[in-house]
Amino acid sequence: MGDKKLSAAEVRHLYDQHGPALVAYACSFVTDAAAAEDVVHQVFLRLLSAEIVMPDVPVAYVYRAVRNAALNARRNGRRDALLDPQLSVFKHRGGNMEAALTLEKALGELPEEQREVVVMRIWSGLTLEEAAAATSAPLNTVASRYRYALEKLREKLRPYRKE
Amino acid sequence: MEDLDKQFEKYLGEFQPRRPRALPEPAIHRQVWSRRLAAAAAITIALGASLWSVRQKPAGQEARNVTSYRPVVSEQQRPRHPLSIVVLTHLAVENPAGLDAALLAAQESRLPRFDRKDSALRILGKE
Repeated sequence: MGDKKLSAAEVRHLYDQHGPALVAYACSFVTDAAAAEDVVHQVFLRLLSAEIVMPDVPVAYVYRAVRNAALNARRNGRRDALLDPQLSVFKHRGGNMEAALTLEKALGELPEEQREVVVMRIWSGLTLEEAAAATSAPLNTVASRYRYALEKLREKLRPYRKE
Repeated sequence: MEDLDKQFEKYLGEFQPRRPRALPEPAIHRQVWSRRLAAAAAITIALGASLWSVRQKPAGQEARNVTSYRPVVSEQQRPRHPLSIVVLTHLAVENPAGLDAALLAAQESRLPRFDRKDSALRILGKE
């Protein structure tokens, strides 16, 4: 119900809107920004070339597809790169590279379902309700996951924050 | 607690994930355009060829007629303007009486006469 095929323009719009967040999400599986970018790119190229029927919430489908592709890439022997500032997924607006790398590492250490909801909420701009719909989880569960994730991230990033 | 979360969300917003490279433009666009161009060229050639053929046909028929009736139809009797299919069609639609007149005139100048002394058909008929 509500399934539809996305046009090329819609796929491109989805890519512009969620591409960066999806790279951040993929990076927690492959821990290599370039590989994460490749994974996201490949998923969207596939969406452009094939007429894939999308579920009601295309973002949810794309997150699932990126997750699967990233896990495949990891299984296929992509190396886990050491954290390198040049390959960092995140850029801090204030130029704090160390904080950016710490965030990347901290996100990678979160349980997958917590990491997913944080990325969706902060960098994809989804509401918790939308994240719940995308992950097919109850809203309360998603809200708890989000709160736990924020606590852990806050703890890791405390040294870099001026409170 | 909620305020703390809001502040921390704002702080997290200071980190921007890298933007993946742009998706390539699909090559389909170029293929579609080249196909359209090829189709347009083919249609133009076909139209040109059929127009040329329509215009050439009456002249060709005339040539055949001249060959067939050379002994009977003199140069003066030959029509000055070949009967064009386009003209005849136009007359048939617009002016049927005019078409009859044109065909009658063409018949006199193009078909062999039977009422002359030297008419081949008349000679054959006598034999």
